[in-house]
Amino acid sequence: MDKKEWFEKAAKTVLDADQEAAVKVAEEAVAAGINPLEMLNQGFSEGIMRIGDLFDRGEVFLPELIIASEAMVAAVKVLEAALPAEEHKEKLGKVVIGSIEGDVHDIGKGIMVTMLRVYGFEVYDLGRDVPIKSFVDKAKEVDADFVGSSALMTTTQVGQKALEAALSEAGLRDKVKTMVGGAVATQHWANKIGADLYAETATEAVMKLKELAGG
Amino acid sequence: MKKYLTRRGDGVRIEMTDDELRADFESGIQDAAERGKIDPLSNEDLDRLMDIFTDPNRIVGVEPGNEVPLTHDIGTLRLMGDQGNSGVGIPLSRVHGIQVHERAFCSDSMELGHIDYSFKPIKPVIAMEQQEYENAQMCTIIPLLYGAMPNLGLYYAPDGPFGNPSDLLPAGKVKEALEAQEQAVEHATKDMIYISEKLANVGCDGINFDTTGAAGDTDFAATLKAVEHLKKTTNLAVQVGMAGEFVLGMHGSLKYNGTRLAGLYPHKQLELVEQAGADIFGPVVNTKPSKSMAWNLARAVTFVKACTAVAKIPIHVNMGMGVGGSPVFETPPIDSVTRASKAMVEIGRADGL
Repeated sequence: MDKKEWFEKAAKTVLDADQEAAVKVAEEAVAAGINPLEMLNQGFSEGIMRIGDLFDRGEVFLPELIIASEAMVAAVKVLEAALPAEEHKEKLGKVVIGSIEGDVHDIGKGIMVTMLRVYGFEVYDLGRDVPIKSFVDKAKEVDADFVGSSALMTTTQVGQKALEAALSEAGLRDKVKTMVGGAVATQHWANKIGADLYAETATEAVMKLKELAGG
Repeated sequence: MKKYLTRRGDGVRIEMTDDELRADFESGIQDAAERGKIDPLSNEDLDRLMDIFTDPNRIVGVEPGNEVPLTHDIGTLRLMGDQGNSGVGIPLSRVHGIQVHERAFCSDSMELGHIDYSFKPIKPVIAMEQQEYENAQMCTIIPLLYGAMPNLGLYYAPDGPFGNPSDLLPAGKVKEALEAQEQAVEHATKDMIYISEKLANVGCDGINFDTTGAAGDTDFAATLKAVEHLKKTTNLAVQVGMAGEFVLGMHGSLKYNGTRLAGLYPHKQLELVEQAGADIFGPVVNTKPSKSMAWNLARAVTFVKACTAVAKIPIHVNMGMGVGGSPVFETPPIDSVTRASKAMVEIGRADGL
């Protein structure tokens, strides 16, 4: 089997959300002398990318996405054990995220949290109806790289602007990148309040964050 | 080149040329056709859209003979509620609000709704709702529905007894999330039936299941079960209005009559609503605030036309803030609301709004 076939086999185990098969393929690849890092980046990660696309198109759903990501995580453990310590893959960055104060809508935010974890970010999910101060405190506590807020209503959207100001006041604004999302957010809104990033879907947001994180 | 005043999806005024408008129509139509796997609008429809957008008048209307019934969901709140509730803050009782809609706004039907507007909190105050409904019926003649949201979110923590899938799923607790949702479906179905039957006992004309699917496929599953039961056991008319264009798969495996609920677009949602026995279907197409109104409305009309082409029951399209091609704005501007309404009726062939 050439490398390409190994990578395709690995991607398929993730697409099939088959944890057992993912672990087996990872073990066999290591035994066959395939570079674990290549297997991860071009095989299993490719599978997650493909399932992310299917999720975006509404062809697979959140529970399936999570089970698929668990298959990948299990395979990654096998591959990491075969890697020299200095090549272990680090988390892409720390993200503090929540639905803004007054807003109890959190389905979209939950999807975003799942996608961030799937793609290797360290996520601190503050939940729904989160006071501005809690975002700031958590960002400071964990030394966050990104702070994301979600708003579904025009009445709560203004909290995203207040968060920008609160981060500046706390001296954190230059240390973190901010992102805004939710049904009412737009690129125009992000520009207006000075947020660093806006994305329409969770997948798009993760891709933009990965780019910023250099992952 | 001449530019026309129009709107972006967040309500901001923008100007677009003929070519820009046409390009956005085509792109919006294509997006709907690809996502929903439905027919695109015809060239004739596209020309009609262009006429509507380039009409120099601020307000447009349908041609004589094309009028359709206008129904309202929790319209009383729009009068009583303040700006935070998308209302105008006039202190009126709910019965007064219904009378204003009937006698001043010429609504063709109206509904009574509780301030919380979800089924679950109505259960403990159902006796008061029955009384209020009877009072409203005594002084109005238009069909009067009782409206509420299935809102399965209220059955999950911190508002309800079951674990919250939005917390459980990201934590990888898939089995627990699925079980919590299945339990919520069972309880919500019972509550919706209980409340509707109580209202049927005081002569209620019908029930409007509003914003169905807001919490995903569980929301839709509970509603379909409740509707099926009510249509078999009561004389209530039933309207099912959706929350969004796409049924979110928070559970992912729930089915109704063998059809998986997750991922359904309006024309497929309609089939199941008809099978459950509902009398009116209210499709929703969401507005993307970052796209132009031309893109959004062309897309919305494409989805709706796919519904009306196959519908066996009347299609009353949800129109307003952030749906049906109207901007996401507390009080959508009149130029956009009237254009969206005209297009939905004359191109989308909606039976009512």
